[in-house]
Amino acid sequence: MSQHTILIVEDEHTLRRLLEYRLGKQYSVRTAANGEEALERIAEEVPRLIISDVMMPKMDGFALQAALQEKDETKAVPFIFLTAKADEASLLRGRRTGVDDYITKPFDIDQLLSRVNRLLERTAQFQSQLDAKIGQDFSQKLMPKKMPSASGYRTFFHSAPREHGGGDIFDCTQPRPGVHFITIGDVMGKGLQAKFYAFSFLGYIRSTLHAMLRTTSSPAELMTRVNQVLMDDPPLEDTFASLLLIKWEPERNLVTYANAGHCRPVLLGPRGAEVVSYSDMILGLDANAEFKDTSLILQPGSALVSYTDGLLEQVMKNGEQLGEEGILQFVQRAHGKADPVQALIGNVLEESSETRFGDDILMFWLEREASRERQSRGPAPRWFSPFSEGTES
Amino acid sequence: MQATTMNFSIEPITHDSVVIRVGKALDFRNAADFKAATQEQVRSGIRNFILDFSETGILDSTGLGSIFSLYRQVSPMSGQVVFASVSRPVQVVVQLTRTYKVFRQFPTVEAARESMR
Repeated sequence: MSQHTILIVEDEHTLRRLLEYRLGKQYSVRTAANGEEALERIAEEVPRLIISDVMMPKMDGFALQAALQEKDETKAVPFIFLTAKADEASLLRGRRTGVDDYITKPFDIDQLLSRVNRLLERTAQFQSQLDAKIGQDFSQKLMPKKMPSASGYRTFFHSAPREHGGGDIFDCTQPRPGVHFITIGDVMGKGLQAKFYAFSFLGYIRSTLHAMLRTTSSPAELMTRVNQVLMDDPPLEDTFASLLLIKWEPERNLVTYANAGHCRPVLLGPRGAEVVSYSDMILGLDANAEFKDTSLILQPGSALVSYTDGLLEQVMKNGEQLGEEGILQFVQRAHGKADPVQALIGNVLEESSETRFGDDILMFWLEREASRERQSRGPAPRWFSPFSEGTES
Repeated sequence: MQATTMNFSIEPITHDSVVIRVGKALDFRNAADFKAATQEQVRSGIRNFILDFSETGILDSTGLGSIFSLYRQVSPMSGQVVFASVSRPVQVVVQLTRTYKVFRQFPTVEAARESMR
């Protein structure tokens, strides 16, 4: 069903058909011949705007308008009166609460159309401002207050939600000393709805982690449970999400992750940048989906870079999406910068077709510092031998 | 604008199977229409869906979500959703989300039809 449904209430057949024809070119139109019929139509579907005659049999326009004022769901529907009575009394009666415009017959149909357009635009704008405000509030709550940290490591984070963006998720928790869990995900869909689902979904993830971390610390086992929640719980029936669960143990320089269809992270190591390729199916689709843990040792000076699809799908000057290949290049260029995430984002934007990102952007950069010894000797070498790192504990 | 974004078409092939030509884009603009149209098909008894992606240049996460919804509706009723003539942009999304484990792929609509006989 079309979003802009207009209800025309007019007892005169010819005028009703004319309005239906003209407005029908732009909007989905329903008609009623009097106030009573109009109330029946409105009970079936609340229109986005009502154009009503005043003088009609059975129930006139004033009575209709008064009835609509009594109900919360119809009170705010824009209302335009059409009337043949140009007299002062009628005008005065017409200017009452809930009447947005008043047009005297005979009227110019193009003028009516432009007023309809303007009214609908205004209500749509009001709605999108409200959505943006709520969306911003959700986005803020979805983002962490504090970054995980450990000695010998640097972490960088950037998140820039768009009002019409999706449901990016980031969370970090430290269940016990020396162990961090980092969650990065994306709930499918766009706009406020996706943000709302992301917000509820993050609640599920947090409580699942909290409940399960006593018995397991395997990201894959946690992922399996989160998938079951998505599959079994009716309110989340239509929620699909990609998720990257990372366990980070800084003292062991060990990262263990499970990836459910999320953008694959980049490992920037001694041999350059590479995509950490292993991943499993996205959440919410298959109750029997299996997930596997993968472990990585972070060598000195190496970094694990995770992100969401807003970055991957950013359109570049050549008209192509950035893609994994592009991200690999930009990660390498940003390596060694004071704030590599800001450097990377700046570089990507410089080479984008637009001057801003088309979607939510989220990025998390976890870097093991190059060893102190080497720093005192000057700039870090371009490669690292596994044998010279043996003194690391 | 509303009319041009609804650029997919549905063609019945058997009493419980249809081919959907997905068209140039399935994204946040027309995903709701796609969802409504496929729900209607499921209500009328359709269980098997062949999605023809030969012309599809854009498949975003909202569009993919609408396909996932369809899969979740028909799979408990032994229905199938299969992909035919998968274009490069669609392949990228399918790879990333690892959903090739769920949606069987065929080089052509004909090959997909054969498999359903």
